[in-house]
Amino acid sequence: MKPVIIQCQHLNHVYSGKAALSDLSFELESGEPIGLVGPNGAGKTTLLSILSGFLRPTSGAVRLFGYPPGATQLIGKVSALPQDARLDPSFTIIEQLVFFGRLQGLTTQQANLEANRVLEAVALKESGHEKPLVLSHGMGKRVAIAQALIGKPALVLLDEPTAGLDPVNVRTVRSIIAEQSSGTTFIISSHDLTELDRLCQQILLLEKGVMQSEKIRVKDQQAATRFITLQMEACPALEVMAKFQVLKGVLHVTNPQKNEFIVEYSSDTPVKMDLQLMQCINDNHWHYRQLSHGKTLEEKLFF
Amino acid sequence: MRPGFFNHLLLISQFELKRAFATPRGLLSMLTFAVVWYFILLYPLRFTADLLVEEKGVIKGFSFFDFIGFHSLQNWTIPEFAVFWHFALILFPLLSIMLAADQTCSDRERGTLRFILLRTSRDCLFFGRFTGMMLIQTLLISAAAFGTLALVLYRDTALFSPALSNLSAVTVNLVLAILPFTAMMAVLSARVKSARQATTWAVLIWTFLAGIISILAYYLPAFSVLKYLVPGYQLSDLAQLSEWRTLQLAHIPLLQSLILLAFGRWIMARQPL
Repeated sequence: MKPVIIQCQHLNHVYSGKAALSDLSFELESGEPIGLVGPNGAGKTTLLSILSGFLRPTSGAVRLFGYPPGATQLIGKVSALPQDARLDPSFTIIEQLVFFGRLQGLTTQQANLEANRVLEAVALKESGHEKPLVLSHGMGKRVAIAQALIGKPALVLLDEPTAGLDPVNVRTVRSIIAEQSSGTTFIISSHDLTELDRLCQQILLLEKGVMQSEKIRVKDQQAATRFITLQMEACPALEVMAKFQVLKGVLHVTNPQKNEFIVEYSSDTPVKMDLQLMQCINDNHWHYRQLSHGKTLEEKLFF
Repeated sequence: MRPGFFNHLLLISQFELKRAFATPRGLLSMLTFAVVWYFILLYPLRFTADLLVEEKGVIKGFSFFDFIGFHSLQNWTIPEFAVFWHFALILFPLLSIMLAADQTCSDRERGTLRFILLRTSRDCLFFGRFTGMMLIQTLLISAAAFGTLALVLYRDTALFSPALSNLSAVTVNLVLAILPFTAMMAVLSARVKSARQATTWAVLIWTFLAGIISILAYYLPAFSVLKYLVPGYQLSDLAQLSEWRTLQLAHIPLLQSLILLAFGRWIMARQPL
């Protein structure tokens, strides 16, 4: 059994009379990255701020590795990328990262090495002697991620790590998380469900300050029915649905968006469903763009 | 190994010293300070000190400084330090209100404090920034006092020993005098959004608190004890004292600072960051 890293019990937070978090109780174990999703105003940033110790909950108990957020025992063990936080414009990036390392208990020499290591991890080693104001938004975000990696913490809370980034930077951030996730548990709050789908094995859904009762497993191998999501080139939707529906083992076919089909089938079907679908597409001279097992995270969470 | 409270305090205050003395913005402030004190030392301080030296024993029974209400200037062994003391008692508290206004507010608004708070406690941050600001001001007071010492030695090198004693007395007392001002700015900075707001609030609180307490004390003398709450309340009395006798009132700024720092710590612990 993996160790529990976060425990929340009856957590509530109220902003000027409005409940931002309502009676949240959950436990999280260390391991693969965990996604935190929910619409705007759902309470994701509030929850991460409480876990990081930036905000005191109105009521309820929170423990990270058995200690309350902000406890000195968590220094170097828990780190975070706070949303929209910026570094001090008066100092160079390397000076600030070294300072953070020193606060975490590293010697000046160790802190220098560590600052260079994390900057290299985010591909910004050459910008270390620049001041934060000269960095672009994407570079600033990567530096903020770099500070979260100082000292190889066991838990990193990332609030919107890819918000406002171009595709190249998004890919860089994704690879940083993938590379570091062997020794670090990441909790990632994001609106980018495709991103979370790729990175996370477990998703927490927050809606109006309430945590949905069950954590969603991204890969559900044990379920009685399975799904295949098909992205097609332009095609006759009604005909496609009708042809798919008569395939052996298919239970239900839906067309949630233009040229996108979700095929629900029985998991004990003896034939390979993906091969059956390919054969059907080929026989009808249609063309497909993408076939993926399971439903998209968006479908799982919101539909 | 995880650093302890005092280690963090030291690291944070060192970083503040670096901000004041090793960044372009900090250096510009220091240059302004140096220019202002250069002119104070060169003209008003030197001329007044010369006048005090010349006046001693010239006209028996009459003194220009008695006439203008600055009798206490004559109680100092070294006239330059007497004049320095009067200038410094006004300038350094004012400087403190401006210099110490941004202990945490702009970093909190920018989110920079969050990066630091992931690695230290709120107490370390609050007291570390306060200590850093006190160290910066102590260095500035010492620099101005050493400038005065240089002026004394330029006039008469034989005065080195009494001048050094005067220098120590004014430095210690000025550091004590600015303690509650810096603590007041630490409290305000923990609460407001910008240095400008902190300075505005400091001036308003200072003026209105002093005014209200004076009015209350006029009608009900028992309220006069509340004057102890106003930072700098003792400054006018302090100006009448000379050399080490100035320590007679040291308990007032110390008590005020303790109360203000305890209040600031309470705010900092509850403030969302």
